[in-house]
Amino acid sequence: MFWSKTRKALRARGVMGINQRNGDYILRYNKRSLYPLVDDKLKTKKMAIEAGIRVPDLYGSIATEQGISTLRKVVDTHRDFVIKPAQGAGGDGIMVIADRFEHYFRSASGRIITQDELEHHISGILSGIYSLGGHRDQALIEYRVRSTELFNRISYEGVPDIRIIVLKGYPVAAMLRLPTRQSQGKANLHQGAIGVGLDLSSGVTLGGTWHNQRIERHPDTANAVAGLTVPDWEDCLALAARCYDLTGLGYLGVDLVMDRDHGPMMLELNARPGLNIQIAMDDGLLRRCGIVEKRLEALKGEDRPAAERVEFSKQQFAVAGVVPLETE
Amino acid sequence: MGSVKFQARLLALMLLLLGAGSILYQVFVQHVPLSQDEKDPVWVIDAQVGFAARPNKPVKVRMFVPPLGSGFTTLNESFISNNYGVNVNEEKGNRQVTWSSRRAEGRQYLYYRLMLTHRYAPALEVEPGPQFRQAPNVEGPERLAAEALLEPIRQHSADVETFISETIKRVNELENDNAQLLLGSDVSALNRARVVDLLLGLSHIPVEPVHTLRLAESQEQEPELWLRSYNGREWLYYNPVNGQQGLPEDRLVWWRGWEPLMKVDGGKSADMVFSVHRNEMSALQLAQTLRLKDASSFIDFSLYELPLPAQQLYRTLIMIPFGVILVLLMRSLVGMETLGTFTPVLIALAFRETQVIYGVLLFVFITALGLSLRSYLEHLKLQLLPRLSVVLTFVVMVMALMSLIGYKLGIGSGLSVGLFPMVVLTMVIERTSIVWEERGGSQSLKVGLGTLFVAVLSHLLMVWQPLSYFAFTFPGVLLCLAAFMVLMGHYRGYRLTELVRFRAMVDGDKH
Repeated sequence: MFWSKTRKALRARGVMGINQRNGDYILRYNKRSLYPLVDDKLKTKKMAIEAGIRVPDLYGSIATEQGISTLRKVVDTHRDFVIKPAQGAGGDGIMVIADRFEHYFRSASGRIITQDELEHHISGILSGIYSLGGHRDQALIEYRVRSTELFNRISYEGVPDIRIIVLKGYPVAAMLRLPTRQSQGKANLHQGAIGVGLDLSSGVTLGGTWHNQRIERHPDTANAVAGLTVPDWEDCLALAARCYDLTGLGYLGVDLVMDRDHGPMMLELNARPGLNIQIAMDDGLLRRCGIVEKRLEALKGEDRPAAERVEFSKQQFAVAGVVPLETE
Repeated sequence: MGSVKFQARLLALMLLLLGAGSILYQVFVQHVPLSQDEKDPVWVIDAQVGFAARPNKPVKVRMFVPPLGSGFTTLNESFISNNYGVNVNEEKGNRQVTWSSRRAEGRQYLYYRLMLTHRYAPALEVEPGPQFRQAPNVEGPERLAAEALLEPIRQHSADVETFISETIKRVNELENDNAQLLLGSDVSALNRARVVDLLLGLSHIPVEPVHTLRLAESQEQEPELWLRSYNGREWLYYNPVNGQQGLPEDRLVWWRGWEPLMKVDGGKSADMVFSVHRNEMSALQLAQTLRLKDASSFIDFSLYELPLPAQQLYRTLIMIPFGVILVLLMRSLVGMETLGTFTPVLIALAFRETQVIYGVLLFVFITALGLSLRSYLEHLKLQLLPRLSVVLTFVVMVMALMSLIGYKLGIGSGLSVGLFPMVVLTMVIERTSIVWEERGGSQSLKVGLGTLFVAVLSHLLMVWQPLSYFAFTFPGVLLCLAAFMVLMGHYRGYRLTELVRFRAMVDGDKH
C-alpha cells in the first residue's frame, strides 16, 4: 500500500503532521490566553520594545476612522514606510511605500498611489478586511526594512525573512523565506514564496522548497539557493530564543528580517507556525522536538538562560557537511 | 500528558459503554425494532355468534374470551352487537363476555374481534396449579376398566410427565376394549379428554383442559382442546388426541375448564364461527398504537413521546452529530479544507429544504453571483460592512426573483427558498469572500468546493432513512459518536493530504 508505506517513511523521519502539531504542541505548550500577544502585532511590538528586542520602528498607529486624518502628520516626517494591519494574517493588507513622487506615493513595486487610495486602504484595514475573522483592526505605520544585498541573488522583489521555530526557548528549526514573482513580494510559502532550510549551527542555507517540492534554484533568478551564510546568525538565534521568555508561548514561530543598517529585527510572532519548514530543512520537526523535550525532561523544568539554550540547539541540530560559499 | 490521554480514553470507553448499553437494552429488553421496516404479524381473530332468538324472551349470551395475560399483546378488542348490553367479567383465570337484551327477534349475530401480536408482550407469569386431587368416585365396570388401563400405565411410566402421556396413548388405542368401554360411542376430543382426566384423577394427578385457537390464516376454525398439568415448576401441555406434548407457539389459550365456550339463554340453534387473519404492521406503528392505548412499550421515555412537531424537529437535530462527525473525519483524517468548521453541516441542513441537486445549483449560482458583485464593489472601493450589506440585499433579491420566475414557469414549490437556506447562503458568501480576501481566489475556490462536497456527503448521510430512524429510536448512539469524537481529539496521525504534501521528504530518502 502506497499510503501505509508513505506513512511509515514519514514517521521514521520524524515528520510532524497538522493533527500532531495542533494536539501535542500548540494545545500543550501555547496557552490560549497568550494568543492575543502574538495575534496583535501592536502588542507584540510594544512588548518587544520593552524587553529590548529589536523591531522595526513604529511611526504611528491608527485605530479609528477619524484617526486617518492624522496619517499625513505621521508620514510627513518619513519618506518611506510600511502600512500593515495589526491583526493581519499571511502578509495580506501590507502596503509598502518606498518613495514619494510629488503629492503621490510610490509603492515598492513602482506603482503610484494617491493619498485617497492610501486612506481607503487604511479604512479597509480598520473595518477588518484583513484581520482574522473580520474583526475591527488597527493600522500600523512603521519603518520600512531594507533588504541586505546578500539575498538579492536569490529573491525577487520584497524582503526575505527568516522563520525560526522555537520550542520552550530552544530553536529547533530555521528557514529563509524568499519572495518570488508569484508570491508578489510576500514571504509566505502558501502564496508561492520559497523556503530555504538553514543549518542551525552556522546559518548556512541548505536546499529549498517551493509548493511542497524540493528545489535547488530560485525559480525567478535561477541562482542556487544553497551555501549562503546568513549574517549575524548568532544574533538571530538569540533573538528568537528570547521571544519565548517574552511571550511564554512554548511552541512559537519567530519571523525575523535582516535590515541592511540595523541587522536582524523581529518582525512578528506566530503561535501556529506552518509545517513546510520540514521540507525546506529536509528533516522532521517531531524528531527535533523530541530531542529538546528529552532535554527538558532531564532538566526537570528548570529554566536555562537563552544563550545556553541556543548553544544546545546549535550542537544538536548542526547539519554535517555544510559548505558555505565564499561571498565576494 | 499520559494521564490526560488515559482519562480521555476512559471517558470514551464510558461513553461507548453507556451508549452501546442503552442500545442493547432497547433491542434485547424492550424489543425495539432495529429498522423502521421491521414488520410484525398482527393476528385478527373474528368470532361470530349466531342464534335464533325466542320471541318475547330476554336473551343472554355468555361466551369466553381470551384472558388478558395470554402471552400476547392485545392491540384492539371489540364487542359488536346491536341493541345488546355488553359486560365482561373475569373468573378463575377466564374472561367471559355477556351480551344481554330484553327482547330480540329472528336470527341474531354477535361479533367479537381481537387483534393480537407477539411483540412487546409481557413475559407470561406462571401461576402455580394444584399437584394433588381427590380421586373421583367411580364404581362398577368403569372402575374395572379404569383399573385395567391404569395397570400397564403405571408399569410403563417413570414420573408424572410420562404417566400422563402414557395415559393419553392408552385412551387413544380405540381397539382396546377397556378404552372403548370408558369412551362409549363418543370419540370426540372432549370425551377423550374426559376419560384421560378420569384415569389421571384416579391416580390423584390433576389436569385441566385448555381450549386453544391456532393463529394461522383460516376461515372456520374449531378451538382445539389441550390438557395441562402443573408439575411444581411449570405447566405441561398435552394434546389428548395424539399425545403431542408442549403447546406450540402459535396457540392462543381462549379459555380453560370443562365449561362450554358459549351459553345462550333465550335462544336456540346457536353456532359460532372463528376466523383468523394475518395482517402486517410495522413495529413502530405497533408501538405507537400501544402507546395510544396507554399500554407500556418502548415509547415511554423515548423521543417518540414528544408531540409530533417537536419529534419532527428532533429527527433533524439528532442527525447533526452525524454530519459533524463526517466533517471531523474529512478534516482530521483526510485533511480536506472547509469554510469554517461546521458550515458544511449547516449547508447540509439547508439542502433539506431545497433538495440536494437544486440546492447545489442554487448555492453555486448565487455564491458565484454574490462573489462577482462583491469583487465589483471592491473595485468601487466600498468598505467591508456596506459591501457585505449590499451583497446580502442582492442575494435576497436574486432569490425572490428566482422564486417568482419559477412560479411563473410553473416549477412551483421546489423553487421557494426557506428562511434557513437563505441565512446559510448569505453566511457562505460572507465567509467565501473573507477567504478570498485573505488567501486568494484559487484557495477560496478549493475551500468552496471542499465545503460543497462535504455538505452534499453529510446531507446524504443525514437524510438516510435507516440511519435517521436508528438515531431517533436509539439516542444512545449519540454517546457512541461522542466517544469516537473524544478519541479523535487525541488522534495524532497524518492526514491523507499530508502524505501527498510531504512526499518530497520521502522521495529524497530513496537516493
